[in-house]
Formats: sequence, structure tokens, C-alpha cells
Amino acid sequence: MFPYKGYAGRWLHVNLTTGSVTSHPYDPALAEGYLGGNGFGTRLLWDHVGPEVAPLAPESLLIFSTGPLCGTLVPNPGRMEVIGKSPLTGIYGDSNAGGFLGPELKFAGWDAVVVTGRSDRPAYLAIRDGRVEIHDARELWGLTTSETEKAIRDLWDDAAVKTAVIGPAAENGVLFSGIQITPQRSAARCGLGTVMGSKRLKALAVRGHGAIQVADPDRFHEISADFHRRLRANPIFEAVSAHGTPGIVSMMDALGRFPTKNFQMGSFPQVDALDAEALEARAFVRHLACFGCPVACDKLYTLADGPFAGTSLRSVEYETLNAMGAAVWNADLDTVLAANRLCDEMGMDTISAGRAISFAMELWEQEIINLDDTGGLRLDWGDQDVILTLLERMARREDDFAALLSQGVRRAAEAIGRGAEAYAMHVKGMAIAAQDGRAQKSMGLAHVTSNRGADHLKAFPTIDETGYPDEAHRRYGEAYLPEMAQPLATKHKPFLVKDGEDFGAVVDSVGVCKSGGTFVLAEIYWSDIAAALEAATGIPMPVERLKWIGERIYNLQRCYNALHGITRKDDRLPRRFREEPSPSGNARGETIDTEAMLDEYYALRGWSQETGWPTREKLQELGLDDAIEALDL
Amino acid sequence: MQLRIDREKCCGCLICTTYCSFHHERAIWPDLARIRIEAETDCGPFSPQVCRQCNARRASDGAMAPCAEACPTEAIGFDQITEAWVIDVELCTGCRACEEACPFDMIVFDEGRGLAFKCNLCGGEPTCAAMCPSGAIEIRNR
Repeated sequence: MFPYKGYAGRWLHVNLTTGSVTSHPYDPALAEGYLGGNGFGTRLLWDHVGPEVAPLAPESLLIFSTGPLCGTLVPNPGRMEVIGKSPLTGIYGDSNAGGFLGPELKFAGWDAVVVTGRSDRPAYLAIRDGRVEIHDARELWGLTTSETEKAIRDLWDDAAVKTAVIGPAAENGVLFSGIQITPQRSAARCGLGTVMGSKRLKALAVRGHGAIQVADPDRFHEISADFHRRLRANPIFEAVSAHGTPGIVSMMDALGRFPTKNFQMGSFPQVDALDAEALEARAFVRHLACFGCPVACDKLYTLADGPFAGTSLRSVEYETLNAMGAAVWNADLDTVLAANRLCDEMGMDTISAGRAISFAMELWEQEIINLDDTGGLRLDWGDQDVILTLLERMARREDDFAALLSQGVRRAAEAIGRGAEAYAMHVKGMAIAAQDGRAQKSMGLAHVTSNRGADHLKAFPTIDETGYPDEAHRRYGEAYLPEMAQPLATKHKPFLVKDGEDFGAVVDSVGVCKSGGTFVLAEIYWSDIAAALEAATGIPMPVERLKWIGERIYNLQRCYNALHGITRKDDRLPRRFREEPSPSGNARGETIDTEAMLDEYYALRGWSQETGWPTREKLQELGLDDAIEALDL
Repeated sequence: MQLRIDREKCCGCLICTTYCSFHHERAIWPDLARIRIEAETDCGPFSPQVCRQCNARRASDGAMAPCAEACPTEAIGFDQITEAWVIDVELCTGCRACEEACPFDMIVFDEGRGLAFKCNLCGGEPTCAAMCPSGAIEIRNR
């Protein structure tokens, strides 16, 4: 009998090769030592998907995992983790989405769904409370994501069914395919949609009617309501709520942190065409929220006229405005929205897809590739038809060039050669999102230490992004100021990154959002999550214990990557950031050298300066003795 | 008092339904929430549905709500202070006549316990209105 509340207390194991569906009790030791969500998935990946298993092999796991606070009363508890070995990077992979699926899964009585094997024909998984069935999905194969969602709603005759679906890109083997989560949220990065496609699993569909119990209802209610009060009183709540992530476009541009022309620059001269004001004037319809979120950073945007009239989509994010806008030198907002919609329908990560295009456009500019290479396309900066055509071709892997780009910038650069590697802006095979380490030094470090390859969301250093001295003071105290809030300062940043990674691992493991209080707003922190967890689950959770768990999860991911050959030499930014001074904004004249920060970071982590691997002592302290053995330390 | 709904403001977050169910059931159980969010699509528009507390204004003159009128055991009575029609679960036999009678589909029936439930305005402090982040649900005193 699983002793803790907050959890459903069981998880579902689905083998698509044999067609078996098994219910497993949640292991109390996993809850105590890894919480759930990201931690649960990390542990299962470590246990069952070793270096000998290829990411797209049938034995590879695809893990959908919720946490103990998912679906509860705390603010924005709608997040769900997807974990697997990334076919894009070949190392640890995860992706996180908001929406309504995670809570629905818990109301159906499941904490996680773990998928293995490969179906001999397209299949989808139907979860109606305790009743779980694998259904034929041949009729759904080839459909776009919204067509698939609609088909399942119609089949079930239930508008409230929640789904996770893949689009044609994943079916076709595009390595940065994502998973669309109801309603139009994306678990986009790391190519986990491709893993789903390799299993011939078109969708997961869930309806649940049950309850989530908590250990101490009065205390949990009090804590949750207090979180809500604090969030709504936070000085930047209104701005985040009003504009969502597009609200930071103009700020980031002024900092020189808004990648332009494949990171040649950090500011876009026509940024006014892409900012929140422009977006809202052009297409805003209404504010939308994920499950249980008071921020409601999602918006419905619809184009009423123009060449893409009728294009309607939820949440046009900062990242996409950059990837389909400034990064490819495109100032046409309608094209950005059309590209976003195309990626959503095909089921592709807008960041990696956009970066593949900006990479290709720079190769064209540098005359490294010509018409013979590009399938007859002239890849001029900002050509709107080319952007949409390339996306369409990538999703369908229509010709050799598009098929090459669909494998991500690292593989494409290796195949092209002729110096193309210099323009592939990635770390560990993951294309860099819309930040620039030259303009924000903590972010440069975050990009190299992130366990899923270049990524802002592992450490998510929001504190020094635009300089939040009040938040920095609240979290870290007077001793860390002023540098902690200064984007160009390197002092204290290794600590900021380590702390963010450990806290982020916890946030992703309990099932709440990083944009609604924990990182953005910087309101909810270690002691808050510890108190909420203890009241919800009944697991005694002193703050020090929670920090130990966060560090443990992050270290186990690093060990997983170490087993896959990752060492210090891979913790490295592209040459451009190290050698080409930024020409833009606040970052003008800046390069970034992460080596000194890395030395300090490894020291703080208790990792070897030479290999960048966790030491034997650190792993003993974290109760990861099996990792000591696996790494032969 | 009564609940006033401004549909335009609803973002579909469902905080009202989680807090409602928690207030009444001490668990997060949206299916047993006494409030319901209807959605035209999953991107809205949304329409919060709450009990209208029918005929509350004329209850002192003996007017009945359809649910109360339909109840064969007189389990549904009017609370003069909160101005809400309230189900006495001790008297409820689970016959579902109230559910049939409600023109707005606002009676919640729990198959497990075989009992009907409805909004009682949380005894005078409606948690949905208190927690709604967008001002879509507000309290109005008559």
C-alpha cells in the first residue's frame, strides 16, 4: 500500500511490442528520494535505458510523468514531464508542458505512463480512469496534431478528453519533433515526439473522474492560498499576466540578448514589429490559462486578414518570435504566426526548426552552400516564402537538404562540412534558444551545464536577466549584490546556476511551472515547495532534504550523460560566443569565456575539474552508489 | 448574496472548480465541484456555470426553487442568511429528482455515496469568487 497522499499511487507500464498494459504501485522510495515528475523519469531512464539502447530502439522508454503537486491547489500545477533518451542529442532528454493533461492523468488515477516497445501498426493509448486500452490508430497516422486531437474527441464523443499527440514530423523521423499536449501546449525540445513516433504511438488520450487527496488538507489549503495571494501581489505579476513571454522581447533586444541573424547580432533593428505590443494589436483575442494558473500567460491569437487569414493559435512565445523572426531576419509578424502554426500542426519544436533555418541562411550568406545543395531554394535572410517552404519540407523530409536540416544543426553541419560547423549554434547537439551568453553571463554558463544540451530552462537564471535587485536580495541576500542582479557580471553566477538547476529539478519533479512563480516572479522558493510538499504528501520534508533531492536528480542526469561519453570538453559554447564580440545593445563588445565560471561551478558541485564528472564522494553523499559503480569511480 | 459571472473575463484556469471541490470534499475533485466551466473550444470562450439560487428573492414569500420543489423528502431548504438553497444530506435519498428538475444542470450527483450536492455559497463565503484570479466570478449582495 502506497503510504503517501498527493500521488495517485500507481503508474502504468505499456509495452507496445507485446500489447501488455500493467499497473505498478508507486515505489515509496522513489517518492521519498526523487519526488516524481522529472526525478521519477530520470531514475527510470538510468535504471532501464543504458548506453547500449539507441534512442529510437524499441527498448527505449518514453516516460510521461506527473508530480505530487500536479493537479492540486498550488498555483500553476498543470505541468507534466516527458523523459527519454534524446535522438537529437544522444543523451539525457526531457521536455515539459503545461495545459491540462497532467492533472487529468492524476484524476484518472495514474501518476505516470511509461511506454516501451514498438507497435506493429500505428496505435493510440486510451485511458479512461482505470480502464486502459491500446487502440488501432491507422486512421490517425499522417494527420496533423489538431486533426488528431479532433478525431479522438469525435471518436470518444467527448470534448473534454485530454491528449498528447504527435504530428507528421515525428512519424517522418524529424529529430526535433515534439509532443502536443491539450490545449496546444508543446513538450517540444529533445525530439521526444520522434521517440513516440518510433514506437508508432500516435497519441495518448485521457479522461479521469477521480480525486486527488492530500495529507493535511487544512495546512495544504492554507499554504496554497498563501501562494496565490503572494503571486498576485508580486510587482511583476500584472505584466507577466498581461503579455506572457512576448512581454520580454523589447527588453531582451535592448540587452543585446535577442539572437538575430543566427546570433551574428543580439538586437533586431525591426524589433518593434515583433514585440508584445505589435502582437497584441495584430492578433490578440483573449487571455488563456493552463490548469490552475492565475497568471494566464497564454493568449489566443487570430489573424483576421492578410495572406494567412484565419490562422489561430494559442501562445505565441518569446522563443518563437525570435526563432521565426529576428533569428532569420524576418520582421513579418504574420509569417511568424504562420510558421508557429505550421510547426504546431506538424509537431516540430519551433526553436530547433527555426535554428535550422537561420543556420542554413548563414551558410548561404557565407557561400558554403549553393543552389545545388538547397534543393533549388535561395536562402536569403528574411525570405518569408523560404521560411515556410523549408519548414514544410523539413517536416516531410521532402528532399535531401530538408532531410539533412531535420536532423538538427549539429548533424547537418557535420554532413555539410566545409566549415559549416562554425555556424551550428548548439551545445551537445541542442540548438541554443533565444538567449546570448555574451549579454547574460549566467545564461552562457547555463547553456553549457544544462543536462539536455543548450538550454535556458534547467538553471533558468531569471534574476540577472534584466536585473531584478529586489528578487536577488529576497533570494540570496545583501552579500550577493550588486553582481547577482547584473547580467554582464560573472561573480556569483556559478552559484546562481547550480542553485537554479537543483531547484529547477525539484520544480519539474513536483509538477508546477517555472514561469508562474518559481523562477519568473521569483516568489516561490525552496522553503515554500518543501512546506507544500510535506502538507500534500505527508513525507517529512525539511528544506535541506529537498535541496539534497534536487541535487541528487541533477547529478544522476549528469551521470547518465557521463555514461554516454559527456565530459568537461562538451561543456562548451560555440566559437562565435567565445571569439566574436557582440555588436549589440548592452552587450556591445562582449564575448564570453565560461572556463573560469566552470571551474567554480564544478567546485560548488563537487565534480572533477578535469572530467566534469561527479566525484565518488559527492555521489556517496547523494546516495547514488550505483552510479559510482557504473562510472567506475 | 449571489454570484455574478462575467464570462468575458474567464480564462479557463479551473481554479474555481479545484477550490470548490476542495472546500466541500477536502480533496481536489473537479467532477464534484458545484461550479462548472463550459468551454466552446479548448481556447474558449468560457462560460462559468453556477447555481442561480432560483427564486431566492421571493423565497420568504414561499417561492421554491425547482430542485426544492421536486425533492420528495424536503431535503432542500432555503438558508435565509446566505440566500442559498441547501441540501440536507441526512434527508437526501439519492432519488435524483432535483437533478431532473434543475433547468441549469447544476446538481452534482456522486454515484459513490448515492447523494446529490449543490452550491450552498460556501455558507456565505464563496471560495470560487475568492480565488478567481480574473474577476470572472464575483459576489453581489442583493
